Amino acid sequence: MKKTEIVLIVLVALIIGVIMSLTFNASTYITFADSEKQMGKEFTVIGSLNKEKDIRFEPKLNLLTFFAVDSLNNERKIYYHDSKPQDFERSEKITMTGFATDSGFVARTILMKCPSKYNEQQHINQDTLTSLTY
Amino acid sequence: MEFIGEHTFIGHLGNAFTSVAFAAAFLAAYSFYKSSCNETLKRIWLPVARGSFYMHGTAIIGVITCMFVMIYNHYFEYQYVWQHSSLELPTHYMISCFWEGQEGSFLLWIFWNIILGVLLIKSAKSWESSVLTIVSIIQVFLVSMILGIYVFGLKIGSSPFDLIRNLEENIGLPWTEMANYLQVVPQFLDGRGLNPLLQNYWMVIHPPVLFLGFSLTMIPFTYVIAALWKKNYTKWVKEALPWTYAAIMVLGTGILMGGAWAYEALSFGGFWAWDPVENSSLVPWIILVAAAHLMLVYKNKKVALPTTMAMTLLAFILIIYSTYLTRSGILGDTSVHAFAGGLASQLLVYLLTFTFTTIVLFVVRYKNLPKDHKDDKVSSREFWLFIASMVLFISAFQITWFTSLPVINKIFGTQMAPPLDAIALYNSWQTPLALLIVILMAVTQYLSYTKTNFKKFFKQISFSLLLSAVLSLFIAYTVNMWHILYFSLLWATVFAALSNFEYWRKILKGTWEHSGASVAHIGFALVIMGALLSNANKNIISSNKGFIAKDFPSNENVLLEKGDTTLMGNYYVHYKSDTLLGINKTYEVEYFSLKEEGGFNYEFTLNPFIQLNEIMGNVAEPATKHFALYDVYTHLTYADTDVHDESNPYHHESLINIKQGDSVIYNQHFLYLDSLMVNANTDLQSENALDVMLIAKLRMQNMQGEFSATQSIYAVKNNAAQSFPGFIDDKGLKYKFVFDQVNPEAGSIQIKAYEHIDNEKPFIVMKAIIFPYINVLWIGMILMAIGTFIAMIQLFKNKKTLES
Repeated sequence: MKKTEIVLIVLVALIIGVIMSLTFNASTYITFADSEKQMGKEFTVIGSLNKEKDIRFEPKLNLLTFFAVDSLNNERKIYYHDSKPQDFERSEKITMTGFATDSGFVARTILMKCPSKYNEQQHINQDTLTSLTY
Repeated sequence: MEFIGEHTFIGHLGNAFTSVAFAAAFLAAYSFYKSSCNETLKRIWLPVARGSFYMHGTAIIGVITCMFVMIYNHYFEYQYVWQHSSLELPTHYMISCFWEGQEGSFLLWIFWNIILGVLLIKSAKSWESSVLTIVSIIQVFLVSMILGIYVFGLKIGSSPFDLIRNLEENIGLPWTEMANYLQVVPQFLDGRGLNPLLQNYWMVIHPPVLFLGFSLTMIPFTYVIAALWKKNYTKWVKEALPWTYAAIMVLGTGILMGGAWAYEALSFGGFWAWDPVENSSLVPWIILVAAAHLMLVYKNKKVALPTTMAMTLLAFILIIYSTYLTRSGILGDTSVHAFAGGLASQLLVYLLTFTFTTIVLFVVRYKNLPKDHKDDKVSSREFWLFIASMVLFISAFQITWFTSLPVINKIFGTQMAPPLDAIALYNSWQTPLALLIVILMAVTQYLSYTKTNFKKFFKQISFSLLLSAVLSLFIAYTVNMWHILYFSLLWATVFAALSNFEYWRKILKGTWEHSGASVAHIGFALVIMGALLSNANKNIISSNKGFIAKDFPSNENVLLEKGDTTLMGNYYVHYKSDTLLGINKTYEVEYFSLKEEGGFNYEFTLNPFIQLNEIMGNVAEPATKHFALYDVYTHLTYADTDVHDESNPYHHESLINIKQGDSVIYNQHFLYLDSLMVNANTDLQSENALDVMLIAKLRMQNMQGEFSATQSIYAVKNNAAQSFPGFIDDKGLKYKFVFDQVNPEAGSIQIKAYEHIDNEKPFIVMKAIIFPYINVLWIGMILMAIGTFIAMIQLFKNKKTLES
């Protein structure tokens, strides 16, 4: 067997290893209700911010609390032990990794989906429409 | 209808330039293609081709000039200007606005391609026609991204010269029918401004360098395509080699500049976070490094040509893939993104066209490629360089595969979410691969091509091997790094740095012109060493010991009231003051150390600041104190940014309803309404008479149980009510009370209470991290750039001597 062939086999094995590694380590997107079946275990939940409800940041406690709605329209209170990200109020979708507890979802990380240019424009248009009465 | 205040001429001019640039690129591609066919056609078509390429370049410079004029003069009727700049933006950041948006950054890329195209016209000689055909085709694709025209109802590209009122989503809105919309619609009086995160000097230089790197990666690609196309399979290597090194140098510098920006200006605390945007420019660089080493092997030993070609092609394909990943919006959530309809599909067409053409061309020509049938010896340099390239390939593959998760989901319809601790997973793959690479980097130079004499090899390398063992043990002892993998990597980096230095000193006799590889290798070893030392031993000195769950620290931040001092690590940190300067609120944070005999030693002051931005949200920018051996990084995670009005120091209005003789708790203090006196005036004839006067006698108790009293008067005269506030400024309490109204039904009165700003001390919440030995990383980065530069110069010189 040629050495190049051995190298190639090792290479293919490693590539498969990489592919498997992602498949096994990838987390799953689930809903709040599912995350509550295994309280304390970490999951990724995608939700949207409920802008009607209180978004509260208490710097002295280093705690941000807000309400998020998941894809099944279930709402949970989120506890995030860090400072409020820039422009948090305008976020549309929030990807949260963390675990469920009795009083709400404790997020370790939150990743906001920033409003896109398109939506920003829409936003302005609505403002403009309401500000112009004629 | 005539719109007032619009500057439409510049937009028309810009669009005209864009169209000319597009058409000229097309013409250039066609005529370079024609002139590459044979000598007769070349005589006719080459001047046409060159002429159209120059015309294309001139038109692009016209486009860029128009855009600068628009940004500089604040023509907010243009969506690009409105979106990315504002009136108060300083001139040097106007350059950053230029490439903040999609369109501008494509233009930057197009611009560099033109510069390189001209250099190739001047230097590529017999390769000119075929190489520039491909460059011109790339330009056609890139310019199409900024066309902004409709073809059969399909929007091609997005033009920087679009007027806001002409945008698809705005058509039909009432304000677009108003001639004076620029004057009356408040949103158009000023632009949205540049994202505060980008208002940083690194962001002025990082994008041009990175895009020049992207452009340079194109050159080796075009040479390989030309070689396959013209069946001239071998001569491209020496032509493309110096350009490949130029690309490695510039792209590498650009990536690390991005890291420097993240470290200096972003809040995640570090220079690398395995972020998809960072990854997607790192991957082509890794592949390019692998390709360059394979080219060197081919140049010397004429082996592994197909692999060399494939690797070189892959580097540029990955550049296009990275563009697709970062600009199509697929990395975000694809459903609501702005570019999902237009540019995403166009970028996909660009990516797929180049990928498929390249694959087909490579496969068709593969059987004709010169192949080597003898097996390399395990002791040969070429074998281990080949192995090193494969290790680099695996490293790049792992990063790409993990970054491509959304693409994988899209193709296979899976619903995988990113790994919960992605950074740890990246590190667990990349650390062993880095270890392999660094060891290979240390030993491969000592191996000879074809076959190595091991006695000689060990004799040459033993000194570095021994010294590195001693040195790394010493370093590990100093920094306390005994984790087996980390220690191995530490040793390997020391070994690689030493052995490359020794190789240059002893075997290359310390000559400057041959120092390129050694310097670059030492630089890379130091980059890895610096990354290892600063990351593995980074110390968040502001973190407390609380945990919310296992591995889940409750708080990495410390709260500091103004004037307070707290212990963090070995420092006593003092929040001294804050000042508002323009749009920046700067906080003065002093660091002290404890003297042995007692008392404090002043060490240094850091000024982290918060950039106030109403539209995009405030952005905190960290401050870092650089020492030779470590950095102290300080970042505000929260700060009160309210600007107090000194003329009215009372704030935080509260409404208090209270009955006579009763008490309430206000602001953690007892507040009593001792009595309510009514003083109705009976003498209605008197000028100064009051109709009625109510006096509320209030008393407040402090934490020590002491009392402080005041009264507020509510007076009604001629049916107009007036209130005279009462103040408490005593025994540590500072409040203002205003008798607001009487509630006859409830039998209570309402008081508005205000707190003095002195009562509540301003505070900051800050994070402080010590990064040890991070300077090793920056020195390594500079050495790597210098080394690659020397190697590039040497290769260009070699090429010249070969030609003459």
